[in-house]
Amino acid sequence: MFLMRFTERAYVNYTPEDVINSPNQAVRLTFSNSHFDPQLGSELYNKYLDEYEYSEEVGFDGLMLNEHHNTPTCLGATMNLEAAILARITKTPKIVLLGNPLPIFDNPIRLAEELAEIDMISRGRLVSGFVRGTGVESLATNTNPLFNRERFEEAHDLLIKTWTTPGPFRWEGKHYQFRVVNPFETPLQKPHPPIWIPGTGSPETLVWCAEHHYPYLFLETDHQGTQDMMQIYAETARQHGYEPGPEHFGYLVRIHVQDTDEKAEEVGRGYMEGNIGVGRIPLPRDYASPVGYGSASRDPRFLRLREQIRSDPFRVGGLDTAAYDDILASNRWIIGSPDTVVSKLREVLAQMRPGILAVWTNDGSISHEDSMRCLELMGQEVLPALREIGEELELTDPFQKAP
Amino acid sequence: MVTEFTEKIVEVGGNKVQILTGGSGDPLVLFHGAGGNSGWLRYVQALADQYTVYLPSHPGYNKSERPEWLETIADMASFYTWFLEEQGLEGARAIGFSMGGWIASEVAVSCRHAFSKLMLVDPVGIKPQRGEITDIFIISPAQINELLFHDPTQAPEYDQLYSQPPTPEQAETAETNREMAVRLCWKPYMYDPRLPGLLSRVNIPSRIVWGREDRLVPVECAELFHQALPKSDVVIIDQCGHSPQVEKPDEFVRVALEFLA
Repeated sequence: MFLMRFTERAYVNYTPEDVINSPNQAVRLTFSNSHFDPQLGSELYNKYLDEYEYSEEVGFDGLMLNEHHNTPTCLGATMNLEAAILARITKTPKIVLLGNPLPIFDNPIRLAEELAEIDMISRGRLVSGFVRGTGVESLATNTNPLFNRERFEEAHDLLIKTWTTPGPFRWEGKHYQFRVVNPFETPLQKPHPPIWIPGTGSPETLVWCAEHHYPYLFLETDHQGTQDMMQIYAETARQHGYEPGPEHFGYLVRIHVQDTDEKAEEVGRGYMEGNIGVGRIPLPRDYASPVGYGSASRDPRFLRLREQIRSDPFRVGGLDTAAYDDILASNRWIIGSPDTVVSKLREVLAQMRPGILAVWTNDGSISHEDSMRCLELMGQEVLPALREIGEELELTDPFQKAP
Repeated sequence: MVTEFTEKIVEVGGNKVQILTGGSGDPLVLFHGAGGNSGWLRYVQALADQYTVYLPSHPGYNKSERPEWLETIADMASFYTWFLEEQGLEGARAIGFSMGGWIASEVAVSCRHAFSKLMLVDPVGIKPQRGEITDIFIISPAQINELLFHDPTQAPEYDQLYSQPPTPEQAETAETNREMAVRLCWKPYMYDPRLPGLLSRVNIPSRIVWGREDRLVPVECAELFHQALPKSDVVIIDQCGHSPQVEKPDEFVRVALEFLA
């Protein structure tokens, strides 16, 4: 099992009232950057990089980053910069980018160059994930959401060709045209860095991933729904002549450890208190899913598949509108002492069988000090136990068996 | 006033176009706005008492098909030159509402004999100099409706139009209509920098009508259209929002008939 550490790198110095008083009561897109203090931002970026450096020391296999725009909930607005720093200051963990939002790039060749540099500087440790991005990413960059999926797929095809076909060549696509594709720098890993796709399980993406043999990483999804979505992946995989295993699936979950259950549960509330954006004050639908963003979802084939997925009981009101205790009781967040966390994770892992576990250790108002203690306990007690569980359950990861 | 119209599907350039027709007299073509074809409303019938009114649904809207290549307002204008020719409507009078005003403007630009008279009602298409065109793509349909009117109580058909929750079929149509608007108007948002220059050669009689309290498209644009269109006049309707034809139908019809005569 591949164990990687994640945080959204939240900005913290604002209040729920600030959000309520912002345009459309939204924490993303239109929440004014007058709330941002670069002095604090400077501190936070460096603390978050410290945490990632320490994550290598405590034994994580991967350092996962993500990217969002116009939001205090994630300071990773240009994730590739952080990745480039980690490529240089760490030595062994994979640098897992989940992921670059392809549709918002007008020049995917530049992205191919950035990722190639990160792969070379890290000496071949890049995992290059791609996403469609939320609606906010489209709106923040003025990318027409109607063409989101088309641009995702075309940018992907262009990137792969750029990495695998000797240049120069010409690209005359629907959304991208380049007269000379020939970036001189190509990735160290051949034919190209591994590609993983994170998401919350749209059937179109699951089918697309299975067609491409790309591992799919479920982001905090309902456990039963996740298994339903794995079935959709598996059905497509079988049509393409292979049976997916744990190496084709990942799962992201908030896992916070402190010395005692009481302390962990107290600190863990910080996920809710500071990280206002993840559903607690809902985003307007027109931000999260602007007109046109879901247009492909009306394909009857995908509508039928969608019906196979159990709807997430916590998504009805937003994950964070659910009571904290309910979230913990359902094992959607795993918070406690090392023993508690390991025992709960055994259940979750046995049920879902992912080969990749993304450990979302801290966010929101959880302090840097509590985060560092959490990472320390992870290294001392949780990660070794998880490795044993992984072996016992035969949770093969994509580096042990090519997907 | 008798409400009578027929709905038919005609074929234009191999694509099916939905069209509502009624009334008698010279032809008058109406171009609906970004939200879609809202049907045979009171103002349409009042115009049909004097003219044979043609109210098509734009390609990609309501029951009209979108040709695969049609992505822009200029494409739409090209399509409408086919439509006018094939339906024998060249030289008709025309009224364009909001985005439909932009389409009608582009039609007039691309074909000198398309229309004999052109009326534009709170049209988009020209970039305001001081204000901004409200971004309807990041607010909800309910918020748009709120901004649409200065005083909804003076719109006689308000309840008929907005008080009932939409049927699933209506909701689906509304969503595909919004998607079509996104396709046509995303960037630059709701204007084309070349339009004022192109309009300078449109020398048919034209009238620009605006609700003074328009909260979607600033009333300053009335003057910009007036400057661009050589033979135009301007009528501002007081105490009225973006859709005078719905909010103040009687006054709107009076202003329209006076110009069209």
